[in-house]
Amino acid sequence: MSETISQSLMRLDAPDKIAGRAKYVADLKMKDCLFALTVRSPIAKGKILQVSLPAMPEGYQVVDHRDIPGENIVKIIYDDQVIFPVDEVKYIGQPILLVVGPDKRIVERLAKAIKIEFREEQPVFAWENSVIRYQFTKGEGDAPFASAANTISYTYTTGYQEQAYMEPQGFIGHYDRGKIVLVGSIQCPYYVKNALIRALACDPDKVRVIQAAVGGAFGGKEEYPSLIACELAVAINKIKKPIKLIFEREEDMLVTTKRHPAQIKLAAAIGADGAIRALRAHVGIDAGADIGLSGVVLSRAMIAATGAYTIDNLAVSGDVYLTNTVPTGAFRGFGAPQMLFAIEMFIEHIAKDLGRDPLAYRLDYLAKQHDKTSTSGVFRDPILMPEMVEKAMAMSGYAAKSERYPREAGYRGIGMSFFLHGCGFTGSGEAKTIKAKVKLEKDSEDLVHILIAAVDMGQGVHTAMRKLVASIMEIPIETVIYDYPDTDQVPDSGPTVASRTMMIVGGLVARAARALKESFIPGQHQVAEEQYVQPDYIKWDEDTMQGDAYPAYSWGVTVVEVAVDPHTYQVNLEHAWSVYDCGKAIDELMVLGQADGGLAQGIAYGCLEVMEHDQGKIRQKNLTDYIIPTASDVPAMTTMLIDNPYPLGPYGAKGVGELTLVGGAPAVAKAIEMAINKRITKIPATPEAIMELIKHG
Amino acid sequence: MVNHLLPETLEEALEALARKQHLLFAGGTDLMVQKRAWAGLPRNFEHPVLFTSRIAKLNFIEKRSDHLAVGATCSLEMMLEYPDTPDLFKTIIGEMASPGIRNHATLAGNIANASPAGDTLVGLYLYDATIVLKSLRGERLVPIADFITGVRKIDLAQDEMITEIRIPHQDFTHIDYVKVGPRKADAISKIAFAGAAKTNDLTVSDIRAAFGAVFKTVLRSPATEAMLKGMRIADIKADLASICEAYARLLQPIDDQRSNKEYRKAVAINLLARFIKSL
Ligand SMILES: Cc1cc2nc3c(=O)[nH]c(=O)nc-3n(C[C@H](O)[C@H](O)[C@H](O)COP(=O)(O)OP(=O)(O)OC[C@H]3O[C@@H](n4cnc5c(N)ncnc54)[C@H](O)[C@@H]3O)c2cc1C
Repeated sequence: MSETISQSLMRLDAPDKIAGRAKYVADLKMKDCLFALTVRSPIAKGKILQVSLPAMPEGYQVVDHRDIPGENIVKIIYDDQVIFPVDEVKYIGQPILLVVGPDKRIVERLAKAIKIEFREEQPVFAWENSVIRYQFTKGEGDAPFASAANTISYTYTTGYQEQAYMEPQGFIGHYDRGKIVLVGSIQCPYYVKNALIRALACDPDKVRVIQAAVGGAFGGKEEYPSLIACELAVAINKIKKPIKLIFEREEDMLVTTKRHPAQIKLAAAIGADGAIRALRAHVGIDAGADIGLSGVVLSRAMIAATGAYTIDNLAVSGDVYLTNTVPTGAFRGFGAPQMLFAIEMFIEHIAKDLGRDPLAYRLDYLAKQHDKTSTSGVFRDPILMPEMVEKAMAMSGYAAKSERYPREAGYRGIGMSFFLHGCGFTGSGEAKTIKAKVKLEKDSEDLVHILIAAVDMGQGVHTAMRKLVASIMEIPIETVIYDYPDTDQVPDSGPTVASRTMMIVGGLVARAARALKESFIPGQHQVAEEQYVQPDYIKWDEDTMQGDAYPAYSWGVTVVEVAVDPHTYQVNLEHAWSVYDCGKAIDELMVLGQADGGLAQGIAYGCLEVMEHDQGKIRQKNLTDYIIPTASDVPAMTTMLIDNPYPLGPYGAKGVGELTLVGGAPAVAKAIEMAINKRITKIPATPEAIMELIKHG
Repeated sequence: MVNHLLPETLEEALEALARKQHLLFAGGTDLMVQKRAWAGLPRNFEHPVLFTSRIAKLNFIEKRSDHLAVGATCSLEMMLEYPDTPDLFKTIIGEMASPGIRNHATLAGNIANASPAGDTLVGLYLYDATIVLKSLRGERLVPIADFITGVRKIDLAQDEMITEIRIPHQDFTHIDYVKVGPRKADAISKIAFAGAAKTNDLTVSDIRAAFGAVFKTVLRSPATEAMLKGMRIADIKADLASICEAYARLLQPIDDQRSNKEYRKAVAINLLARFIKSL
């Protein structure tokens, strides 16, 4: 059946979602449910001197740090994020306490009546407080700078990006005979469960986490839900009643994690022949008030320092800065979009500064199979980029247009980005931290239950996994069951992140399915389990950041064509063309769905989506002011998928979810750059920024 | 207990308004957003709501001898589909909001909301539209530029309501409209520009320019327009720089989370210049 695995099925979750039957967390109701509202810090930094509560009517309570039975820590990676602050606040919008009660009107009134006295302190917004610093080198490092004929340097800047998932963050939870059960809009059921165990100081079987239907997450529901889950669990533990905690859109946009703003300094040592002898890169990212996942984001950004190119000598360093702003966190691409924008623009800018043809110059440096990666690992699998570039150029008419538009100076431009994405967790994450486990269970009616913690958040995993098992076992897809993950039922197959779900978790599921097929006894209850084992040729040294950072890479080429209005400086997206190598599509339509959505999000990151803070306060707090593209803004897209099966992925599949985003921003920025004949070093390239460039260079 | 009203006749509505203060509610596309509350709670309406949608008499659009009359509950989508709606208004409405919103939203609501970025206002100012207000006391006809007195401020007494809008027929030979929004649908204008002129041979007998979102109300300059009237097209074009300067002095755009004043001013003037060059 492997020839037909890519053939598309109707999404199995589609009928319920279209008919409005799917239950998102806000749709879930429980008898005698209470509602929680968060009281937040209005200041960016200071000490809490006193909290004065109004008279609390019967049945209304506050929940704060004193109610936490375990540690006042949200377990992520570093123990620096508190659930509720004891006496100091670090950013505007930091949760201080919950008000809980049965009538929302009264809860709201009480929350407003709570008076908190602060002693304000000078907040830090500048990037000076580095809490994580990484570095690595390749080859001779930056030694060649000493003898370079020429040095070219540019600094690239990227802003916040908001995930703008469909439904805001939220949980509903209840107390079930000594056990706390939470149902929420989440990507990682076990992250939440593990955080709860620590906050409640309880046995693992005293907490249970279930996924509700999720209408999009984009990384925003990776680590952030752990914070509110801890708050809510503490409240349920205290009150022992069902409680619902659901954010409003504005609350969500003001206080939840966003993509890290970055400043990337790049310098190239150029030889007398115009070749790049060495590259020096420094990546600075703004973590906001808590480190959260920032170290991992930073390392993915740094590892992507050479993008889809091979450069022999490298010196890469990076810092995570703490500021008194809303914490940043996971977002589709995870550090790579920032770096790929920078490196893609940089190689182009070097070529332009040297008077070389940018395309020819870039093609010279494209990575090839067996080349060393930025961290001196090896690109083991075939790289089909030359063929993909050729296809993208043919589809888009790139050669003729890129020759004609600059000559005509008619405010039209076409830009092409080359990119890659490392699939799965960075470094030894899969083997050392995640250690994914999956389970297939066949019941006595021969229904096969997929027991994994991977969540469908709109990307189609629900359909893809069932299809995978049905196809391997050669059984009808209707006999394969995959319910919303429930930590009481499923083993920890790891979080639904890092483009790992099909490649890693799907790989294990495929193995289990094969085992189950071989031992199939009709009518008998049977179980097949698998656990992740790192291929032993993969070596990674965490401390020196040397070796194979990823088991496999997906590759892509994106071309975007734009017309810039010379009177309003608005960018019209004319068309986008992409060619992707994601190994093998487990379902072609689903991959194309990821491609369209990812590219729209990537292009919008490059030219549309502005989010800024003013003295620590986010200025764009709703979808009126934060401009994600509508269907009328998204250009027509032509997408081509290239088969390049990865031996360890199911049917050869590699990661796809993030790949489709990371090339969008540089492609659109290059197109705008051609249209206005100026250098773009900052995204989003808004009409305001384009006007500034046209007027003042 | 709050008493919301859903009258079927204008008389009923006017009597209710005369009795006590109500919040008039047409399509609700502004009000439902402005009065939003924590999900699950009722909207924060400070006064009893009077829904106008059932007043059949106000749901019309009609071409009369010297103007187009638009009833207060006529939806923007209905106006878009009406054959005798001037092209300028079809363009404006076609770029407004999105189809779902336009099926509810009304012209009266856009006017009474009096946002400096209200999109139909630019057209209504350009056409010198008149607002018809009714109360039990009688009827008032107020020019749009007098009806809107500031940001979200209108000349409406507590017992009055808008019943119709009159858009005079015009025979412009040139018409230009540009909405500069941050995206192509569901977008609040950063700048809007509408220009119109009537030329015969070499001279301009009428010329108008209206700017949205760069002043506390839509901005027109009667003095500049009067000065240009009767001038030769060639002289107007030769004078382009000083005309642009005159307007630039009047514009008072702001910095906000959607754009900045430099951009708003520069683009508004670019659009004016392009319009004049096109005469
Ligand atoms: C997603 C979205 C996109 C939008 N896009 C745009 C856009 O592109 N451009 C734009 O200009 N606007 C836009 N809007 C705003 C809104 O749709 C318009 O202003 C619309 O015309 C309001 O009409 P309504 O009938 O819905 O007004 P309502 O919300 O019912 O009322 C608006 C105001 O008018 C008053 N009012 C209503 N009827 C009367 C009457 N008969 N007499 C006196 N006062 C009255 C109300 O009391 C209220 O103050 C958008 C809104 C949304 C939600």
